[in-house]
Amino acid sequence: MRSKKVKIINPILTLLTIGVFWEFVVRTLNIPNYVLPSPSTIFSTAAKYSLYLAFNLLDTLVAALMGLAIAAVFSLALSLPLAYSEVIRDSIYPLITGFNAIPRAALVPLLALWFGLGAVPKVLTAFLIAFFPILVPTLTAMITMEKELWEMLQSFGASKGQILTKVAVPRAMPYFLSSLHMGLTSAFVGAVIAEMVASDKGLGYVILSSTSRLDTPLAFACLILLALTTFVISKVLSMVERRVVKWAYRVNI
Amino acid sequence: MDPVVQLRKVSVRYGNSNGGLTAVADVDLSVMPGEVVSIVGKSGCGKTTLLKVIAGLVRPVSGEVLFNNKGVNGYSKGVGMLFQSPLLLPWRTVIKNILLPIEIINGDLESYLSRAYELIEKTGLKGYENSYPWELSGGMQQRVALCRALIHKPPLLLLDEPFSALDAITREEMWNLLQEVITYEKCTTILVTHDVREAVLLSDRVVVMGGKPGRIKSELMINFRRPRDLMVQYTKEFNDYVVMIKNLIGD
Repeated sequence: MRSKKVKIINPILTLLTIGVFWEFVVRTLNIPNYVLPSPSTIFSTAAKYSLYLAFNLLDTLVAALMGLAIAAVFSLALSLPLAYSEVIRDSIYPLITGFNAIPRAALVPLLALWFGLGAVPKVLTAFLIAFFPILVPTLTAMITMEKELWEMLQSFGASKGQILTKVAVPRAMPYFLSSLHMGLTSAFVGAVIAEMVASDKGLGYVILSSTSRLDTPLAFACLILLALTTFVISKVLSMVERRVVKWAYRVNI
Repeated sequence: MDPVVQLRKVSVRYGNSNGGLTAVADVDLSVMPGEVVSIVGKSGCGKTTLLKVIAGLVRPVSGEVLFNNKGVNGYSKGVGMLFQSPLLLPWRTVIKNILLPIEIINGDLESYLSRAYELIEKTGLKGYENSYPWELSGGMQQRVALCRALIHKPPLLLLDEPFSALDAITREEMWNLLQEVITYEKCTTILVTHDVREAVLLSDRVVVMGGKPGRIKSELMINFRRPRDLMVQYTKEFNDYVVMIKNLIGD
Protein backbone atom coordinates (compact mmCIF):
# COMPACT_ATOMS: atom_id res chain seq x y z
CA MET A 1 0.00 0.00 0.00
CA ARG A 2 3.09 2.21 0.14
CA SER A 3 2.71 3.07 -3.54
CA LYS A 4 -0.84 4.34 -3.03
CA LYS A 5 0.33 6.72 -0.30
CA VAL A 6 3.18 7.86 -2.52
CA LYS A 7 0.69 8.52 -5.30
CA ILE A 8 -1.18 10.97 -3.09
CA ILE A 9 1.71 12.49 -1.14
CA ASN A 10 4.21 13.01 -3.98
CA PRO A 11 2.19 15.44 -6.07
CA ILE A 12 1.27 17.38 -2.91
CA LEU A 13 4.96 17.64 -2.02
CA THR A 14 5.75 18.83 -5.54
CA LEU A 15 3.02 21.42 -5.32
CA LEU A 16 4.26 22.64 -1.91
CA THR A 17 7.80 22.91 -3.25
CA ILE A 18 6.65 25.00 -6.17
CA GLY A 19 4.56 27.16 -3.81
CA VAL A 20 7.45 27.78 -1.44
CA PHE A 21 9.78 28.61 -4.34
CA TRP A 22 7.14 30.96 -5.81
CA GLU A 23 6.64 32.72 -2.47
CA PHE A 24 10.40 33.04 -2.03
CA VAL A 25 10.93 34.51 -5.52
CA VAL A 26 8.08 37.01 -5.20
CA ARG A 27 9.31 38.20 -1.78
CA THR A 28 13.03 38.41 -2.52
CA LEU A 29 12.58 40.12 -5.90
CA ASN A 30 9.87 42.40 -4.48
CA ILE A 31 7.56 41.66 -7.37
CA PRO A 32 4.45 43.84 -7.04
CA ASN A 33 1.16 42.06 -6.38
CA TYR A 34 -0.50 43.25 -9.56
CA VAL A 35 2.24 41.57 -11.64
CA LEU A 36 2.61 38.29 -9.79
CA PRO A 37 0.97 37.80 -6.40
CA SER A 38 2.57 35.42 -3.93
CA PRO A 39 0.67 32.27 -2.92
CA SER A 40 0.05 33.69 0.55
CA THR A 41 -1.53 36.83 -0.93
CA ILE A 42 -3.67 34.73 -3.24
CA PHE A 43 -4.93 32.65 -0.32
CA SER A 44 -5.67 35.62 1.89
CA THR A 45 -7.53 37.27 -1.01
CA ALA A 46 -9.45 34.08 -1.63
CA ALA A 47 -10.39 33.91 2.05
CA LYS A 48 -11.47 37.56 2.06
CA TYR A 49 -13.69 37.09 -1.00
CA SER A 50 -14.71 33.52 -0.21
CA LEU A 51 -18.45 34.06 -0.38
CA TYR A 52 -18.23 36.17 -3.54
CA LEU A 53 -15.98 33.54 -5.16
CA ALA A 54 -18.25 30.69 -4.07
CA PHE A 55 -21.32 32.27 -5.68
CA ASN A 56 -19.49 32.97 -8.91
CA LEU A 57 -17.90 29.52 -8.95
CA LEU A 58 -21.35 28.00 -8.54
CA ASP A 59 -22.52 29.99 -11.55
CA THR A 60 -19.64 28.78 -13.73
CA LEU A 61 -19.93 25.24 -12.42
CA VAL A 62 -23.65 24.95 -13.17
CA ALA A 63 -23.19 26.35 -16.69
CA ALA A 64 -20.20 24.10 -17.47
CA LEU A 65 -21.82 20.95 -16.10
CA MET A 66 -25.09 21.64 -17.90
CA GLY A 67 -23.16 22.21 -21.10
CA LEU A 68 -21.25 18.99 -20.54
CA ALA A 69 -24.41 17.02 -19.79
CA ILE A 70 -26.11 18.27 -22.95
CA ALA A 71 -22.93 17.57 -24.95
CA ALA A 72 -22.73 14.03 -23.57
CA VAL A 73 -26.35 13.20 -24.35
CA PHE A 74 -26.19 14.92 -27.73
CA SER A 75 -22.93 13.17 -28.75
CA LEU A 76 -24.18 9.76 -27.71
CA ALA A 77 -27.50 10.25 -29.44
CA LEU A 78 -25.86 11.57 -32.60
CA SER A 79 -23.24 8.81 -32.73
CA LEU A 80 -25.98 6.16 -33.02
CA PRO A 81 -27.31 7.15 -36.48
CA LEU A 82 -23.78 8.07 -37.57
CA ALA A 83 -22.55 4.62 -36.61
CA TYR A 84 -25.61 2.92 -38.04
CA SER A 85 -25.40 4.23 -41.56
CA GLU A 86 -22.46 5.16 -43.74
CA VAL A 87 -24.76 7.35 -45.83
CA ILE A 88 -25.79 9.38 -42.79
CA ARG A 89 -22.16 9.52 -41.70
CA ASP A 90 -21.01 10.77 -45.08
CA SER A 91 -23.78 13.37 -45.19
CA ILE A 92 -23.41 14.80 -41.69
CA TYR A 93 -19.96 14.10 -40.31
CA PRO A 94 -18.02 16.45 -42.66
CA LEU A 95 -20.34 19.28 -41.60
CA ILE A 96 -19.70 18.57 -37.94
CA THR A 97 -15.95 18.53 -38.55
CA GLY A 98 -16.29 21.78 -40.47
CA PHE A 99 -18.29 23.36 -37.66
CA ASN A 100 -15.63 22.28 -35.21
CA ALA A 101 -13.13 24.36 -37.18
CA ILE A 102 -14.97 27.56 -36.18
CA PRO A 103 -13.42 29.09 -33.04
CA ARG A 104 -16.44 28.76 -30.75
CA ALA A 105 -15.37 31.80 -28.74
CA ALA A 106 -16.23 33.83 -31.80
CA LEU A 107 -19.82 32.70 -31.51
CA VAL A 108 -20.37 34.09 -28.01
CA PRO A 109 -21.35 37.62 -29.13
CA LEU A 110 -23.91 36.08 -31.48
CA LEU A 111 -25.27 33.83 -28.76
CA ALA A 112 -25.50 36.84 -26.45
CA LEU A 113 -27.33 38.73 -29.16
CA TRP A 114 -29.87 35.94 -29.51
CA PHE A 115 -30.23 34.79 -25.91
CA GLY A 116 -29.23 37.79 -23.82
CA LEU A 117 -26.63 37.92 -21.07
CA GLY A 118 -27.99 35.15 -18.84
CA ALA A 119 -27.02 31.54 -18.38
CA VAL A 120 -28.14 30.41 -21.84
CA PRO A 121 -25.15 31.62 -23.90
CA LYS A 122 -22.80 30.16 -21.26
CA VAL A 123 -24.40 26.74 -21.33
CA LEU A 124 -24.53 26.83 -25.13
CA THR A 125 -20.88 27.81 -25.48
CA ALA A 126 -19.86 25.07 -23.05
CA PHE A 127 -21.94 22.58 -25.02
CA LEU A 128 -20.61 23.69 -28.41
CA ILE A 129 -16.98 23.31 -27.34
CA ALA A 130 -17.51 20.08 -25.41
CA PHE A 131 -19.48 17.93 -27.81
CA PHE A 132 -16.85 17.35 -30.48
CA PRO A 133 -14.19 15.78 -28.22
CA ILE A 134 -16.91 13.45 -26.92
CA LEU A 135 -18.44 12.56 -30.27
CA VAL A 136 -15.24 11.61 -32.12
CA PRO A 137 -13.85 8.86 -29.87
CA THR A 138 -17.35 7.49 -29.17
CA LEU A 139 -18.18 7.23 -32.84
CA THR A 140 -14.77 5.79 -33.74
CA ALA A 141 -15.16 3.08 -31.12
CA MET A 142 -18.60 2.23 -32.46
CA ILE A 143 -17.57 1.87 -36.09
CA THR A 144 -14.30 0.01 -35.59
CA MET A 145 -14.78 -3.66 -34.86
CA GLU A 146 -12.82 -6.82 -35.64
CA LYS A 147 -13.92 -8.15 -39.02
CA GLU A 148 -14.30 -11.65 -37.64
CA LEU A 149 -16.55 -10.44 -34.84
CA TRP A 150 -18.74 -8.74 -37.43
CA GLU A 151 -18.79 -11.93 -39.51
CA MET A 152 -19.65 -14.06 -36.53
CA LEU A 153 -22.58 -11.78 -35.65
CA GLN A 154 -23.74 -11.90 -39.27
CA SER A 155 -23.45 -15.67 -39.30
CA PHE A 156 -26.17 -16.02 -36.73
CA GLY A 157 -28.25 -13.46 -38.52
CA ALA A 158 -27.70 -10.28 -36.49
CA SER A 159 -29.22 -7.15 -37.98
CA LYS A 160 -27.29 -3.90 -38.15
CA GLY A 161 -29.36 -2.50 -35.31
CA GLN A 162 -28.63 -5.54 -33.16
CA ILE A 163 -24.92 -5.30 -33.85
CA LEU A 164 -25.10 -1.65 -32.85
CA THR A 165 -26.95 -2.19 -29.58
CA LYS A 166 -25.39 -5.49 -28.51
CA VAL A 167 -21.80 -4.81 -29.50
CA ALA A 168 -20.95 -1.36 -30.85
CA VAL A 169 -22.52 0.67 -28.04
CA PRO A 170 -21.20 -1.34 -25.08
CA ARG A 171 -17.81 -1.45 -26.81
CA ALA A 172 -17.81 2.34 -27.09
CA MET A 173 -18.76 3.01 -23.45
CA PRO A 174 -15.19 3.19 -22.06
CA TYR A 175 -14.24 5.60 -24.85
CA PHE A 176 -17.36 7.66 -24.26
CA LEU A 177 -16.73 7.90 -20.53
CA SER A 178 -13.06 8.77 -20.89
CA SER A 179 -13.92 11.40 -23.49
CA LEU A 180 -16.02 13.11 -20.81
CA HIS A 181 -12.73 14.21 -19.24
CA MET A 182 -11.85 16.06 -22.42
CA GLY A 183 -15.41 17.34 -22.60
CA LEU A 184 -15.23 18.52 -18.99
CA THR A 185 -12.23 20.81 -19.51
CA SER A 186 -13.69 22.01 -22.81
CA ALA A 187 -17.00 22.82 -21.13
CA PHE A 188 -15.24 24.92 -18.50
CA VAL A 189 -13.29 26.73 -21.21
CA GLY A 190 -16.58 27.44 -22.96
CA ALA A 191 -18.37 28.65 -19.84
CA VAL A 192 -15.47 30.91 -18.77
CA ILE A 193 -15.06 32.42 -22.25
CA ALA A 194 -18.77 33.18 -22.42
CA GLU A 195 -18.58 34.82 -19.01
CA MET A 196 -15.69 36.97 -20.15
CA VAL A 197 -17.50 38.12 -23.26
CA ALA A 198 -21.10 38.31 -22.26
CA SER A 199 -21.89 38.05 -18.58
CA ASP A 200 -21.77 39.87 -15.28
CA LYS A 201 -21.47 36.71 -13.25
CA GLY A 202 -19.20 33.71 -12.96
CA LEU A 203 -15.48 33.24 -12.51
CA GLY A 204 -14.76 34.30 -16.10
CA TYR A 205 -16.38 37.64 -15.38
CA VAL A 206 -14.50 37.91 -12.05
CA ILE A 207 -11.16 37.26 -13.80
CA LEU A 208 -11.89 39.88 -16.43
CA SER A 209 -13.10 42.54 -14.00
CA SER A 210 -10.37 41.93 -11.41
CA THR A 211 -7.51 42.12 -13.93
CA SER A 212 -8.99 45.30 -15.39
CA ARG A 213 -8.60 46.99 -11.99
CA LEU A 214 -5.22 45.29 -11.42
CA ASP A 215 -6.59 43.04 -8.67
CA THR A 216 -4.36 40.21 -9.87
CA PRO A 217 -4.54 38.15 -6.63
CA LEU A 218 -8.29 37.75 -7.12
CA ALA A 219 -7.77 36.61 -10.72
CA PHE A 220 -5.26 34.03 -9.52
CA ALA A 221 -7.67 32.86 -6.86
CA CYS A 222 -10.22 32.26 -9.64
CA LEU A 223 -7.72 30.28 -11.71
CA ILE A 224 -6.80 28.08 -8.78
CA LEU A 225 -10.46 27.52 -7.97
CA LEU A 226 -11.15 26.51 -11.59
CA ALA A 227 -8.21 24.09 -11.61
CA LEU A 228 -9.28 22.59 -8.30
CA THR A 229 -12.91 22.21 -9.38
CA THR A 230 -12.18 20.49 -12.69
CA PHE A 231 -9.63 18.28 -10.96
CA VAL A 232 -12.17 17.10 -8.39
CA ILE A 233 -14.89 16.50 -11.00
CA SER A 234 -12.40 14.63 -13.15
CA LYS A 235 -11.58 12.35 -10.21
CA VAL A 236 -15.28 11.70 -9.63
CA LEU A 237 -15.67 10.85 -13.33
CA SER A 238 -12.77 8.40 -13.08
CA MET A 239 -14.43 6.68 -10.16
CA VAL A 240 -17.69 6.37 -12.08
CA GLU A 241 -15.76 5.05 -15.10
CA ARG A 242 -14.01 2.34 -13.11
CA ARG A 243 -17.34 1.18 -11.77
CA VAL A 244 -19.43 1.34 -14.91
CA VAL A 245 -16.93 -0.17 -17.35
CA LYS A 246 -14.97 -2.37 -15.01
CA TRP A 247 -14.26 -4.77 -17.88
CA ALA A 248 -12.29 -2.12 -19.75
CA TYR A 249 -9.77 -1.98 -16.91
CA ARG A 250 -9.16 -5.73 -16.91
CA VAL A 251 -5.45 -5.17 -17.34
CA ASN A 252 -3.63 -2.57 -15.28
CA ILE A 253 -1.15 -0.94 -17.58
CA MET B 1 -30.52 -38.34 -47.23
CA ASP B 2 -29.96 -34.90 -48.68
CA PRO B 3 -26.74 -33.04 -48.05
CA VAL B 4 -26.78 -30.17 -45.55
CA VAL B 5 -24.59 -28.07 -47.79
CA GLN B 6 -24.03 -28.34 -51.50
CA LEU B 7 -21.66 -26.20 -53.53
CA ARG B 8 -22.04 -26.43 -57.30
CA LYS B 9 -19.35 -24.92 -59.53
CA VAL B 10 -18.75 -22.13 -57.05
CA SER B 11 -16.30 -19.38 -57.98
CA VAL B 12 -15.42 -16.36 -55.87
CA ARG B 13 -13.73 -13.17 -56.94
CA TYR B 14 -12.45 -10.44 -54.69
CA GLY B 15 -12.15 -6.87 -55.88
CA ASN B 16 -13.90 -5.32 -58.85
CA SER B 17 -14.59 -6.82 -62.22
CA ASN B 18 -11.55 -5.50 -64.08
CA GLY B 19 -8.85 -5.77 -61.43
CA GLY B 20 -9.99 -8.56 -59.18
CA LEU B 21 -8.55 -11.78 -57.93
CA THR B 22 -10.28 -15.10 -58.34
CA ALA B 23 -9.92 -16.73 -54.94
CA VAL B 24 -11.86 -19.93 -55.56
CA ALA B 25 -12.80 -21.56 -58.86
CA ASP B 26 -15.33 -24.24 -59.79
CA VAL B 27 -15.68 -25.87 -56.40
CA ASP B 28 -18.11 -28.77 -56.00
CA LEU B 29 -18.64 -29.99 -52.48
CA SER B 30 -21.41 -31.74 -50.60
CA VAL B 31 -21.54 -32.34 -46.90
CA MET B 32 -23.94 -34.93 -45.53
CA PRO B 33 -25.80 -34.63 -42.20
CA GLY B 34 -23.58 -35.56 -39.30
CA GLU B 35 -20.48 -35.59 -41.43
CA VAL B 36 -17.24 -33.95 -40.34
CA VAL B 37 -15.31 -32.57 -43.30
CA SER B 38 -11.94 -30.87 -43.12
CA ILE B 39 -10.60 -28.51 -45.74
CA VAL B 40 -6.82 -28.35 -45.81
CA GLY B 41 -4.37 -26.52 -48.02
CA LYS B 42 -1.62 -23.97 -48.08
CA SER B 43 -2.45 -20.49 -46.84
CA GLY B 44 -4.07 -18.40 -49.54
CA CYS B 45 -5.60 -21.42 -51.25
CA GLY B 46 -9.12 -20.15 -50.62
CA LYS B 47 -10.18 -22.49 -47.85
CA THR B 48 -11.38 -19.73 -45.55
CA THR B 49 -13.13 -18.09 -48.49
CA LEU B 50 -14.96 -21.33 -49.09
CA LEU B 51 -16.07 -21.40 -45.47
CA LYS B 52 -17.34 -17.83 -45.79
CA VAL B 53 -19.28 -18.78 -48.89
CA ILE B 54 -20.96 -21.55 -46.94
CA ALA B 55 -21.69 -19.16 -44.06
CA GLY B 56 -23.23 -16.76 -46.58
CA LEU B 57 -20.67 -14.09 -45.73
CA VAL B 58 -19.21 -14.03 -49.23
CA ARG B 59 -21.26 -14.31 -52.40
CA PRO B 60 -19.92 -16.39 -55.24
CA VAL B 61 -19.69 -14.76 -58.67
CA SER B 62 -20.91 -17.95 -60.25
CA GLY B 63 -22.21 -21.31 -59.15
CA GLU B 64 -24.76 -22.22 -56.56
CA VAL B 65 -24.74 -22.71 -52.81
CA LEU B 66 -27.52 -24.83 -51.40
CA PHE B 67 -28.20 -25.01 -47.71
CA ASN B 68 -30.66 -27.78 -46.87
CA ASN B 69 -31.58 -27.75 -50.57
CA LYS B 70 -32.35 -24.03 -50.49
CA GLY B 71 -30.24 -21.30 -52.03
CA VAL B 72 -28.22 -19.15 -49.69
CA ASN B 73 -29.59 -15.64 -49.85
CA GLY B 74 -27.18 -13.29 -48.21
CA TYR B 75 -26.47 -14.72 -44.82
CA SER B 76 -27.53 -18.25 -44.17
CA LYS B 77 -29.06 -17.68 -40.79
CA GLY B 78 -28.09 -19.84 -37.96
CA VAL B 79 -24.78 -21.53 -38.70
CA GLY B 80 -22.42 -21.76 -35.75
CA MET B 81 -18.95 -20.35 -36.25
CA LEU B 82 -15.73 -20.70 -34.35
CA PHE B 83 -12.62 -18.73 -35.27
CA GLN B 84 -9.01 -18.80 -34.23
CA SER B 85 -9.71 -15.94 -31.84
CA PRO B 86 -12.57 -16.59 -29.39
CA LEU B 87 -14.11 -13.13 -30.05
CA LEU B 88 -15.90 -13.01 -26.72
CA LEU B 89 -17.43 -9.76 -25.55
CA PRO B 90 -15.42 -8.61 -22.52
CA TRP B 91 -18.37 -6.85 -20.85
CA ARG B 92 -20.42 -10.03 -20.78
CA THR B 93 -20.06 -12.93 -18.41
CA VAL B 94 -19.48 -16.44 -19.75
CA ILE B 95 -23.17 -17.35 -19.62
CA LYS B 96 -24.20 -14.09 -21.29
CA ASN B 97 -21.61 -14.57 -24.03
CA ILE B 98 -22.96 -18.04 -24.67
CA LEU B 99 -26.53 -16.77 -24.87
CA LEU B 100 -25.68 -13.94 -27.29
CA PRO B 101 -26.89 -15.80 -30.41
CA ILE B 102 -30.22 -16.52 -28.70
CA GLU B 103 -30.64 -12.84 -27.85
CA ILE B 104 -30.08 -12.05 -31.49
CA ILE B 105 -32.11 -14.85 -33.04
CA ASN B 106 -35.28 -14.82 -30.95
CA GLY B 107 -34.63 -13.41 -27.50
CA ASP B 108 -36.10 -16.52 -25.89
CA LEU B 109 -33.41 -16.75 -23.22
CA GLU B 110 -35.56 -18.66 -20.71
CA SER B 111 -35.90 -21.78 -22.78
CA TYR B 112 -32.24 -21.92 -23.76
CA LEU B 113 -30.86 -21.37 -20.29
CA SER B 114 -30.87 -25.05 -19.40
CA ARG B 115 -29.17 -25.85 -22.69
CA ALA B 116 -26.51 -23.24 -21.92
CA TYR B 117 -25.84 -24.90 -18.58
CA GLU B 118 -25.74 -28.30 -20.25
CA LEU B 119 -23.09 -27.07 -22.70
CA ILE B 120 -21.16 -25.43 -19.88
CA GLU B 121 -21.17 -28.74 -18.04
CA LYS B 122 -20.12 -30.67 -21.16
CA THR B 123 -17.25 -28.34 -21.94
CA GLY B 124 -15.92 -28.27 -18.40
CA LEU B 125 -16.81 -24.66 -17.72
CA LYS B 126 -18.92 -25.37 -14.67
CA GLY B 127 -18.24 -22.81 -11.96
CA TYR B 128 -17.17 -20.18 -14.48
CA GLU B 129 -20.69 -19.17 -15.60
CA ASN B 130 -20.41 -15.73 -14.08
CA SER B 131 -16.74 -15.12 -14.79
CA TYR B 132 -15.67 -12.63 -17.41
CA PRO B 133 -13.81 -13.93 -20.47
CA TRP B 134 -10.65 -12.06 -19.56
CA GLU B 135 -10.49 -13.98 -16.32
CA LEU B 136 -10.12 -17.24 -18.27
CA SER B 137 -7.21 -18.88 -20.09
CA GLY B 138 -7.10 -19.04 -23.89
CA GLY B 139 -8.30 -22.65 -23.95
CA MET B 140 -11.19 -21.87 -21.62
CA GLN B 141 -12.15 -18.86 -23.73
CA GLN B 142 -12.26 -21.08 -26.80
CA ARG B 143 -14.55 -23.48 -24.91
CA VAL B 144 -16.90 -20.58 -24.23
CA ALA B 145 -16.77 -19.68 -27.93
CA LEU B 146 -17.62 -23.30 -28.80
CA CYS B 147 -20.64 -23.23 -26.49
CA ARG B 148 -21.75 -19.96 -28.09
CA ALA B 149 -21.39 -21.52 -31.56
CA LEU B 150 -23.60 -24.44 -30.50
CA ILE B 151 -26.21 -22.82 -28.25
CA HIS B 152 -28.85 -22.37 -30.96
CA LYS B 153 -28.49 -25.96 -32.21
CA PRO B 154 -27.04 -24.87 -35.55
CA PRO B 155 -27.59 -27.22 -38.45
CA LEU B 156 -23.96 -26.66 -39.39
CA LEU B 157 -20.83 -25.88 -37.41
CA LEU B 158 -18.10 -23.99 -39.23
CA LEU B 159 -14.64 -23.99 -37.69
CA ASP B 160 -11.91 -21.73 -39.06
CA GLU B 161 -8.51 -22.72 -37.62
CA PRO B 162 -10.15 -22.86 -34.20
CA PHE B 163 -7.24 -24.32 -32.28
CA SER B 164 -4.19 -22.89 -34.03
CA ALA B 165 -3.64 -20.22 -31.38
CA LEU B 166 -3.58 -22.77 -28.55
CA ASP B 167 -0.61 -24.62 -27.11
CA ALA B 168 -0.11 -28.28 -28.04
CA ILE B 169 -1.52 -29.72 -24.82
CA THR B 170 -4.59 -27.50 -24.78
CA ARG B 171 -5.12 -28.25 -28.48
CA GLU B 172 -5.27 -32.01 -27.80
CA GLU B 173 -7.74 -31.36 -24.99
CA MET B 174 -9.85 -29.34 -27.39
CA TRP B 175 -9.69 -32.12 -30.01
CA ASN B 176 -11.16 -34.54 -27.47
CA LEU B 177 -13.75 -32.04 -26.37
CA LEU B 178 -14.78 -31.17 -29.91
CA GLN B 179 -15.16 -34.83 -30.83
CA GLU B 180 -17.24 -35.47 -27.74
CA VAL B 181 -19.47 -32.46 -28.32
CA ILE B 182 -20.10 -32.97 -32.03
CA THR B 183 -20.78 -36.65 -31.52
CA TYR B 184 -23.26 -35.84 -28.79
CA GLU B 185 -24.84 -33.00 -30.75
CA LYS B 186 -24.73 -34.98 -34.02
CA CYS B 187 -23.41 -31.80 -35.56
CA THR B 188 -22.54 -31.50 -39.24
CA THR B 189 -19.13 -29.86 -39.17
CA ILE B 190 -16.76 -28.23 -41.61
CA LEU B 191 -13.26 -27.57 -40.32
CA VAL B 192 -10.73 -25.40 -42.08
CA THR B 193 -7.21 -26.07 -40.89
CA HIS B 194 -3.61 -26.19 -42.02
CA ASP B 195 -2.81 -28.83 -39.44
CA VAL B 196 -3.00 -32.12 -41.35
CA ARG B 197 -2.89 -34.25 -38.19
CA GLU B 198 -5.84 -32.31 -36.79
CA ALA B 199 -7.77 -32.86 -40.03
CA VAL B 200 -7.10 -36.61 -40.06
CA LEU B 201 -7.89 -37.02 -36.38
CA LEU B 202 -11.17 -35.14 -36.42
CA SER B 203 -12.82 -35.73 -39.77
CA ASP B 204 -14.65 -38.34 -41.83
CA ARG B 205 -13.35 -36.77 -45.00
CA VAL B 206 -10.44 -34.49 -45.83
CA VAL B 207 -10.72 -32.13 -48.78
CA VAL B 208 -7.42 -30.88 -50.16
CA MET B 209 -7.40 -27.48 -51.82
CA GLY B 210 -4.63 -25.83 -53.78
CA GLY B 211 -3.60 -23.74 -56.71
CA LYS B 212 -4.32 -20.17 -57.70
CA PRO B 213 -7.25 -19.73 -57.90
CA GLY B 214 -8.07 -22.34 -55.28
CA ARG B 215 -9.67 -25.55 -56.44
CA ILE B 216 -10.39 -28.86 -54.80
CA LYS B 217 -7.47 -31.10 -55.72
CA SER B 218 -8.68 -34.29 -54.10
CA GLU B 219 -10.67 -35.83 -51.30
CA LEU B 220 -9.83 -38.60 -48.92
CA MET B 221 -12.07 -40.63 -46.63
CA ILE B 222 -10.61 -41.30 -43.19
CA ASN B 223 -11.71 -44.76 -42.17
CA PHE B 224 -11.46 -44.60 -38.42
CA ARG B 225 -14.54 -44.78 -36.27
CA ARG B 226 -15.44 -41.56 -34.56
CA PRO B 227 -14.91 -40.41 -31.85
CA ARG B 228 -11.24 -41.30 -31.97
CA ASP B 229 -8.74 -41.84 -29.25
CA LEU B 230 -5.76 -39.50 -29.37
CA MET B 231 -3.51 -42.57 -29.47
CA VAL B 232 -4.72 -43.29 -33.00
CA GLN B 233 -2.25 -40.58 -34.05
CA TYR B 234 0.61 -42.98 -33.42
CA THR B 235 -0.66 -45.79 -35.63
CA LYS B 236 0.71 -46.58 -39.07
CA GLU B 237 -2.61 -46.02 -40.88
CA PHE B 238 -2.89 -42.57 -39.34
CA ASN B 239 0.58 -41.63 -40.50
CA ASP B 240 -0.14 -43.05 -43.96
CA TYR B 241 -3.10 -40.67 -44.19
CA VAL B 242 -1.01 -37.77 -43.00
CA VAL B 243 1.78 -38.47 -45.49
CA MET B 244 -0.71 -38.94 -48.31
CA ILE B 245 -2.41 -35.62 -47.58
CA LYS B 246 0.89 -33.81 -47.16
CA ASN B 247 1.90 -35.06 -50.59
CA LEU B 248 -1.41 -33.93 -52.05
CA ILE B 249 -0.96 -30.45 -50.57
CA GLY B 250 2.69 -30.36 -51.46
CA ASP B 251 2.88 -30.04 -55.21
